[in-house]
Amino acid sequence: MRALAIARASTRRIIRDRTALFFLLVLPIIVIIIVGATVRGFSTFRVGVDSVGSGAAGQRIVTALDHSRGIDIAIYTDQKSLTTALARGEISVGVLLPAGLDAVESEAKPATVTIFAEQVNSAQQAAATAVSSVILGQGALVQSASFAAAHSSSSYNQALALATSLQGTTPHVGLRNVSADTSASTLPQGYSYSAPTELVLFVFLSALAGGAAIIETRRLGMYERMLAGPVRARTIIAGEALTYFLLALVQSALIIVVGAIAFGVSWGNPLAAAALVITWALVGAGAGLLSGTLFRTPEQASAIGPTAGIALAMLGGCMWPLSIVSTTMREIGHVTPQAWAVDAWTSLLSRHGTITTIAPQLGVLAAFAVVLLSVSSLRLYQRLR
Amino acid sequence: MRTALLIARKDLRQRMRDRSAIVLGLVAPLLIAALMSFAFKGTETFHYQLGVVNEDHGAIATELVHALSSSTSRSILTVENLSSPAAARADVHDGHVAAALVIPAGFSAAVAQQHPESLSIVTSVNNQVAGNVTRSIAASFVAQIDADRLSVMTALAGGAPANTLNALSAKAATLRIPLQSVERPIGAGQLSAISYYSPAMAIFFLLFTISFASRSFFVDRTQGMIERMRAAPVRPAEILAGKALSVLVYGTLSLATVGVITSTAFGANWGSPFAAVLLGFAMVISVVCLTALVIGVARTQRQAEGFSSILVFGLALLGGNFIVISSSPPLMRTLALFTPNGEAMRGFSDLSTIGGGLGTVATPIAVILLFSALTGGAAMALARRAVS
Repeated sequence: MRALAIARASTRRIIRDRTALFFLLVLPIIVIIIVGATVRGFSTFRVGVDSVGSGAAGQRIVTALDHSRGIDIAIYTDQKSLTTALARGEISVGVLLPAGLDAVESEAKPATVTIFAEQVNSAQQAAATAVSSVILGQGALVQSASFAAAHSSSSYNQALALATSLQGTTPHVGLRNVSADTSASTLPQGYSYSAPTELVLFVFLSALAGGAAIIETRRLGMYERMLAGPVRARTIIAGEALTYFLLALVQSALIIVVGAIAFGVSWGNPLAAAALVITWALVGAGAGLLSGTLFRTPEQASAIGPTAGIALAMLGGCMWPLSIVSTTMREIGHVTPQAWAVDAWTSLLSRHGTITTIAPQLGVLAAFAVVLLSVSSLRLYQRLR
Repeated sequence: MRTALLIARKDLRQRMRDRSAIVLGLVAPLLIAALMSFAFKGTETFHYQLGVVNEDHGAIATELVHALSSSTSRSILTVENLSSPAAARADVHDGHVAAALVIPAGFSAAVAQQHPESLSIVTSVNNQVAGNVTRSIAASFVAQIDADRLSVMTALAGGAPANTLNALSAKAATLRIPLQSVERPIGAGQLSAISYYSPAMAIFFLLFTISFASRSFFVDRTQGMIERMRAAPVRPAEILAGKALSVLVYGTLSLATVGVITSTAFGANWGSPFAAVLLGFAMVISVVCLTALVIGVARTQRQAEGFSSILVFGLALLGGNFIVISSSPPLMRTLALFTPNGEAMRGFSDLSTIGGGLGTVATPIAVILLFSALTGGAAMALARRAVS
């Protein structure tokens, strides 16, 4: 009961601090929006196109690129802005459609489309391959229309319409897709990626930075005053742990609700998600308590806490999927609790996981929570005695 | 001037005694940059293993396999021969190969017939890019064959007599698709993760100086230090100059050290040293002005901590210190240019990819200095009140 009173007092003190509230509640949502809007390009090539002066033929290529699987297009109005965007990495390749491209059709003149890409940049080479294939597909239509116009009574435009309609039905070398697997080993892109990873990141980071409150309480001699009354050290520890646990739960609940309502994130099996949130909140509570006993000044907690939180989040796959890093880095990443939490969310969001499926991850996270809470409680107990 | 130097020296000594200043100014940016470097080592180039099952061994199938092993394709994929479609599915599923291409028996013989065989592309949901690239290479390879067949069918549908089929087919076989593509390099370097995140993290942790310096000012004021200085007598302008100088020296040292260590130890490309130094120095000036603004706007230490924390994270998020801003939507790229750190990141990225010297970063430096003049001007009026 006294632990509850301590938790209530500590929570009230943190909630009164508007800066703390900003970091607890507002910042995670802003980061989810920014990261969610950014993490969309793992399976698409961004292709910049300058089609100025290329006429209707050029427009048809732009439409074909726009409708191609795995290609997102961005329109540029001059070559300089196109190449600058490529140099800055805003696009994967640049496509320059030559002026007077209509002449390919009207005068049956061959034409060449320029694809800006560096030979040594293999990512750009891959994108160039995709673009080149689309251009050949459009070229096939032009070839067919010109051939038919020359060898039948159709005009070029009639033949082009015919070729377009026949392209799908004419026997051709089909490219059949065979899926080797149906369930992804990474989180979905967009907000379904940023919401769970930022939940993992911020619950831990806020707890680490929040350790400053315990240091401040220690410095003000509030624990000594509490101990002068009929309050035992373990009650104080339980109260503080409860504070961090409750704050972590509130923060997680906010991210889950905002993620579901505003960004349409489906959090998977509710029972498994709840178990994961609670276990992760316990890990956060342990980290917060440890930060409060490990650092000497609030400045140290505010400086080293976020740094450690960000570093662990990077290692654990909160900033980028661990599937894109080397095997060694993936293994090192799993030394952090963050990697196990992200694995569990991946199972829930991408593979319809249940509480049984994520039991191994929950087990590891529970072990982290036990170790962190035990070590930090012991340290706080020693300082209180 | 001497008074300002003494105040700056006192502030710097005080800061260096606190380990958190070393952590934020040096350890943290180097640690995070090192993590970035290790995490993305060997992953910045696109290259994948493509499993190939050749059940045909005919002329066209052999040509296709050769095309996959050509020098152009070799830069993005390595062919691994597999025994059967089942093995291909298993290997793609297990991640031994990123995608696989199955050429069925009879493919070469049927390719020019009425009903050609289909090629199968085995893909994984975890590596869609490899699947799409394989599809593009295969589509490009069969494009001419399909285009010739489509030409004949279009001519027949357009009114050419049916008995001319063989003649039309023979003529179509001599055609070449009139629309081809050619690759042209622009001579820009690739922006590696370490080259982006080294300045990004150095600037992010440099921004923390705003919190520390403004906090230190209010601690001094609470402890009566400012009043004692004023009694010395020291003019408010000298106190402000001393505080600003300490931020300037600390920021410059932090940025320069991170720059030197990440370039030499991790291979980060900061571009032309002269241009990078000037750009970094402009960024430090903007941090000095922002610190002065926080001191001017805040009335208590608590307020200063709150304002500066929100400012630091707000700028870092908008300016692209956490995410590679070039990958973000156009609106975010534009918003980034309204922040000094966003302009600095644009400048450092351009130095690393486009190259060049002062000309490359002239605009970012000018915008940062303009931003500094505006914030610094506002801060001067407000900060005098804080000191007085």
